[in-house]
Amino acid sequence: MTRIGKFCLAGIMLFSAVPGLARQLPDGKQKQTVLKLCGTCHSPNLVLGRGMTRAQWGDTISSMVARGAKGTPEEFSDVLDYLATNFPPKSGTPTPAPAAAAGTARPKPKSIGQGADDQQVVDEALADQGKKIYIAECITCHGPKARGANEGPPNLRGPDIVRSVVVLHDRYGSTIGAFLSKGHPTQSGTSSASFSAEQILDLSHFLHQRVGDTLRSGPFNSVLNVLTGDPKAGEAYFNGEGKCTTCHSAKADLAGIATRYDAPALQQRFLFPATPVYGGRSVRSRKPVMLTVTPPNGPAVTGELDRLDDFDVSLHDSAGDYHVWKRTPELKVEKNDPYAAHNALLEQITDKDIHDVVAYLETLK
Amino acid sequence: MRIKFSQFICTAVLFVPALFGQEVTNQTLLHPPADSWPTYNGDYSGRRFSALRKINSANINSLSLAWAFRTGVSGGVFGASIKATPLLVNGVLYFTLPDYVWAVDARTGHELWHYHWDSKGGIHLGNRGVGIYGNWLYFETPDCNLVSLNTKSGKERWHKQICDLDQMYYASTAPVIVKNHLLTGVSGDDLDVPGYIEAHDLETGDLQWRWYAHPEPGQPEAASWPNTEAMLHGGGMTWGESTYDPELNLIYFGTGNPQPVIQGKGRLGDNLYTESIVALNPDNGKIAWYFQPSPHDTHDWDAIQTPVLIDGEIDGVKRKLLAQASRNGYFFVLDRTNGKDIVTKKFAAANWAKGLDAKGQPIPNPAKMPQEDGALVAPNQGGAANWPPPSFSPDTGLFYINATNAYSVYYIFDTDQKPEGWGGNDKGGYSELILKGIDYRTGAVKWAHKWEGQGGARSGVLSTAGNLVFAGDPSNNFVALNASTGEPLWHVNLGTAPSNGPITFELDGTQYLLVAAGDTLYSFAMLGK
Repeated sequence: MTRIGKFCLAGIMLFSAVPGLARQLPDGKQKQTVLKLCGTCHSPNLVLGRGMTRAQWGDTISSMVARGAKGTPEEFSDVLDYLATNFPPKSGTPTPAPAAAAGTARPKPKSIGQGADDQQVVDEALADQGKKIYIAECITCHGPKARGANEGPPNLRGPDIVRSVVVLHDRYGSTIGAFLSKGHPTQSGTSSASFSAEQILDLSHFLHQRVGDTLRSGPFNSVLNVLTGDPKAGEAYFNGEGKCTTCHSAKADLAGIATRYDAPALQQRFLFPATPVYGGRSVRSRKPVMLTVTPPNGPAVTGELDRLDDFDVSLHDSAGDYHVWKRTPELKVEKNDPYAAHNALLEQITDKDIHDVVAYLETLK
Repeated sequence: MRIKFSQFICTAVLFVPALFGQEVTNQTLLHPPADSWPTYNGDYSGRRFSALRKINSANINSLSLAWAFRTGVSGGVFGASIKATPLLVNGVLYFTLPDYVWAVDARTGHELWHYHWDSKGGIHLGNRGVGIYGNWLYFETPDCNLVSLNTKSGKERWHKQICDLDQMYYASTAPVIVKNHLLTGVSGDDLDVPGYIEAHDLETGDLQWRWYAHPEPGQPEAASWPNTEAMLHGGGMTWGESTYDPELNLIYFGTGNPQPVIQGKGRLGDNLYTESIVALNPDNGKIAWYFQPSPHDTHDWDAIQTPVLIDGEIDGVKRKLLAQASRNGYFFVLDRTNGKDIVTKKFAAANWAKGLDAKGQPIPNPAKMPQEDGALVAPNQGGAANWPPPSFSPDTGLFYINATNAYSVYYIFDTDQKPEGWGGNDKGGYSELILKGIDYRTGAVKWAHKWEGQGGARSGVLSTAGNLVFAGDPSNNFVALNASTGEPLWHVNLGTAPSNGPITFELDGTQYLLVAAGDTLYSFAMLGK
């Protein structure tokens, strides 16, 4: 059985240990690849119910690769295709937006399982209604994001209610309602004890939404702006100190690069090109690591790296044939990583250089 | 007759422990027998060094698989990789997954019982094992419960809530028993809540004391926070396992990141006692000293890595030392009587500090704190080291760590006047894994073995008197290396990355070697017949 075959089997067996889980993933030609690459550590629960853009799924996969996920570039591209196709954003494209801006379509918060299983599921429509009540009755003392007010007249400096245990223990108004029913000052002067059950529920959804926005999986966690550099200085670095022209040309391979990637993706891609997925683009064109293996009594064999550790080395030659050797002191192994210069750059490049280069690359439309 | 009688005695001596189990006492924990691994790190020093030498650098290639035990459990958001260090007592291994405990015969891999906790939530990222005392096991659940089980039957005795799930705490550590105290830590850096460590009664589970990872308002250390509200919501989770010096009667552990995690502008100052190595009196929870590896952390570099206790010699003077290879890329050696720094030296790529302060603590460079347009930082959020335990060999004088050189870009997402929770994160990255043998006296790397391939297996390390060090590589190999030189000697490819801290022990005259990879526990030994 091939190594890939073994992996697939392991993935299938892993998920089959809990009946039904694997079946919950939508069918698709890349499903087995998802099970194989992701199933070593994750259950399908992780993606079920999630929704992200292709770029965001790309970021997630890049992050997993940096944390040790194993697979070929083609396999990661398949995983990206599958996730982006089957788990698109639930409501619009997530963009950073002020939380208090009324009527903005909100991306669904993602979960890594934090908190109680029976925690409140925020109803966005009711949260929007709750926001109106909040703005009318609470915002002056508790602030636009319910994080409290540290300025203004002392009697109007209310505490942070995102951090309130009353709010965190609440389910659909259970503890918030009990608190407000005792009577709490409001902006309008209406006693909070007179709030209807519907108003309490709406406020509850709004406040739980505010809590969710602070999580690492919060819906507004995306890069704000990387275009802070000087394109002229970036061009100089590109052509000079950075030695980028050793392999690249603004008029050839990088022509129009800024039309293919947004600026945050350009930044991540030029720093970490060996991470297989960037900004939502498939990377079937990723250059392979090449090996030349010279046995003591035989001709040198050159091909694409399949596996290299302290004990074994294997590759696929240009005819597609697979070769494997046990490593010994007599076996010569030469490795040619096309991204070695990028990796070496990490120890030298300054943040100013990075942002200058991105500003320059952004001009290559 | 006499021959038969002596055979009977031999047989009885060999099998008495298996037939008539001995209770774990404080003496067991203070002086673990060779046929046991009775606490998370094997003993209180945290060094994960075994004096066994039947498996050694000369015969390691005779090692073979004795048995494999597969849990058959998957599921959970993070899957079901065994991160627990199994405990061994009376020939029975006890280990965990989140919500699960197993008892398995160490000789055969045969399951004696397993226990499942009906969870109400919490992050199921991992569980690092049980604590054992008398005939009782203790373990923590992701939904914030401390559970005690009978070692023989796996039946629950009691459970106690140790944290609030609604505040998004969870629990993952292996409880450690010191004297009559059961030490429990908490996890969870989603919301801005304080970390704490607790001691519980071994019989009843009742709370004895709780120590919060922040000073009290008005104390001098409180000046390391801009205001009391920030301090009382400042994080510092206690998800590492304590080590203990019985002579000094001090426990040692590290604390996690301050809150909010990435965006630090609402908590200017050093943020004590987050990101600190702390010494406490186990009888009352009073702090004896602290040392802060990452003042004002903004990179999520929890300083919870094992504080390894070394009885060493520096400049000809015998010293009581404590060493940590910290997630932030620095190796620290402290005097564990008072917390004074002796060595501070990088052991992996680290570009975030602009120097050391008078106490030997790195001074964070503001330019390398997360930025709106991104800052390239080493190490990445995963860190130069993480929870997988390192090892120290008194034979070689080397501290062994699977160290990661890693870069990522840290971004600020939340520019609010009062950021909360996360407010930023790191993205992407490059990493390479290097097993290093570090001279504890100087922090100098005596040998380094770079593993091929990107990424890092987060496996723990074990060293033995057989001049061996065991660790995982990024290619799913479990490898034995020469402890003096770092030369790889033996390996087995487990198909999945080694996922816990390996252990070793001797039963019936046979030395066993155990490691987990994914959902399977593997046992290796030299099986004569």
